[in-house]
Amino acid sequence: MTRATAPRPPAGESDSDADDLVPGAEFNVREFARTAVGSHRPGLDLEVYATDPLDDRTLDLVAYLARLEHSTMRHLRSVLVTPTHKDARVTAFLVTWAYEKYWIADALEAVLDAHPSYEAAAAGRLGPLARFWHSLAERVEPIHESVIANAIGEDVVAVHSATGAVDEWVTRAAFVSLAEQADHESFRALLEQLAEVKARHELFWSLQSRDRLKRSPTASDLARRRLARAQLPLGAIDESPDATRRFYAALISDDTIATIDGRIDELPGLAGLRLLERSARETPRRGGLEGIASWIGRVAADLTTRRRA
Amino acid sequence: MAFDIDDYTATSESVGWEDLDFEAFKTDPLPEQTLRSLRYMCDVEYHTVCYLRDLLVTPSHKERDVSAFMTMWNREEFWHGEALAHVLGLHGITVDFDELKAKRLKLGWRDKLGPLRQSILGNVVGNDFVAVHMSWGAANEWSAVAAYRRLAKLESHPTLSPLLQRIAQQETRHVAFYASQARDRLEKSKVAQKLTRLALQNAWGPVGSSISAPEDVTHVMKHLFGSEEGMKEVRRIDSNIAKLPGMDGLTIVADSLAKRGVAA
Repeated sequence: MTRATAPRPPAGESDSDADDLVPGAEFNVREFARTAVGSHRPGLDLEVYATDPLDDRTLDLVAYLARLEHSTMRHLRSVLVTPTHKDARVTAFLVTWAYEKYWIADALEAVLDAHPSYEAAAAGRLGPLARFWHSLAERVEPIHESVIANAIGEDVVAVHSATGAVDEWVTRAAFVSLAEQADHESFRALLEQLAEVKARHELFWSLQSRDRLKRSPTASDLARRRLARAQLPLGAIDESPDATRRFYAALISDDTIATIDGRIDELPGLAGLRLLERSARETPRRGGLEGIASWIGRVAADLTTRRRA
Repeated sequence: MAFDIDDYTATSESVGWEDLDFEAFKTDPLPEQTLRSLRYMCDVEYHTVCYLRDLLVTPSHKERDVSAFMTMWNREEFWHGEALAHVLGLHGITVDFDELKAKRLKLGWRDKLGPLRQSILGNVVGNDFVAVHMSWGAANEWSAVAAYRRLAKLESHPTLSPLLQRIAQQETRHVAFYASQARDRLEKSKVAQKLTRLALQNAWGPVGSSISAPEDVTHVMKHLFGSEEGMKEVRRIDSNIAKLPGMDGLTIVADSLAKRGVAA
């Protein structure tokens, strides 16, 4: 049985002497890179879906999860234009993380391809106006990040770590929940296998955010302000609000929301955000005036943090 | 020939070196100048993630094939760094994450402004700018293959040379991707050809020259290419670049070496 959350690091303490110098030092990045999990296809029994197919509701969720895993590159782009790219330990992790996520998405797509009659829900994608704003925002984002995040400096790494942790808590919980709901042995086994791969991602980001937020009040302040405006899970920004609502309704229970919000509360300086509760209940912000207002809010939050620092 | 991305992703792997006889370095250690060149190459490989950043800020990251390639390419290059770091470690030269971070921090404002310049150009110029990246990448990968093969030949070492040949073999697949991307994109747009020609002619420098000290760049170029045989390789890289649409007559590698006083 796969647990909904990976083993938790001890709160506020570490067994590593290097902890004060190196955030998340007990996570061995080289070992992670050495034991990376690649293609899942060799072990997949895809023929079973011909006689025992998944229903369309499940396949919609599989397609959504695959798109989230594939959104890695967009997130990587935002992360790499900031001082986070200087930290060779973090970038070494990112290289393998992107690789494992690529193959997680590929395994889910193999399941979709094994259902030739399935057509992805048209509502899963953005409308033309939203696409326009979205494309504009996407172009501005790296320019914004290059300027603002570089002015802020290394505290930005803590923000990326905290965002990464929350994202993994949500998406991994979704994999586990889908496995529990699935009345299909082969599919369940695959999801459990993929959730195990994601457990190490979750652990890395959890340890990084714990240590980085603990050592810098400015980082906590910035993480708090940015997370309050974040759209989670990562990749939801490319999805229609309906698709994200269905994802939360189907896979993230109230108990899971409370558990994850509780874990966020334990991160230094992030208590009381109720981030998951908000992400699950509110309609994601879209383009137009609302999008511009949100962007201005984010710039203001960044600059305030910068001034305080 | 079109690049088969599915075949590439399915067969992409971290370069293996466990089967090589590393004891050989005890009796047959590498000379100082080779270690200096290897250190340079190791830094360049680890730095790939920063080159990836420059590609990601252009619209190309949304294309499925490009995104898949970048994921695998980035990992292969990281493992080239690990393999070379292992060889350096056996010679008492430690390359660890903290030291790499310190080096990256030293790059200063030029490195910070890099992505800004790239995002503005990438998003204002749009798809034509992607052709510049792909051609630039092709030139770099052709250079990398030549550099690894040259060093393998120069050293003729029972352990180092097979390792470098394996790395070079993986680099040839990177060449195939970049060159086919560059060719396709340049063929479709005269503007892309003009932009690429301008960028290569005025801004291209040997791989690693943007992150290394000028004296290290000159050392590596002289070490690997400062001979008649080395210059033959240089001319081969230039002739490959010149075959890309609109790049006729370019000799950017020979020119950049001449500027550094490297000759046969």
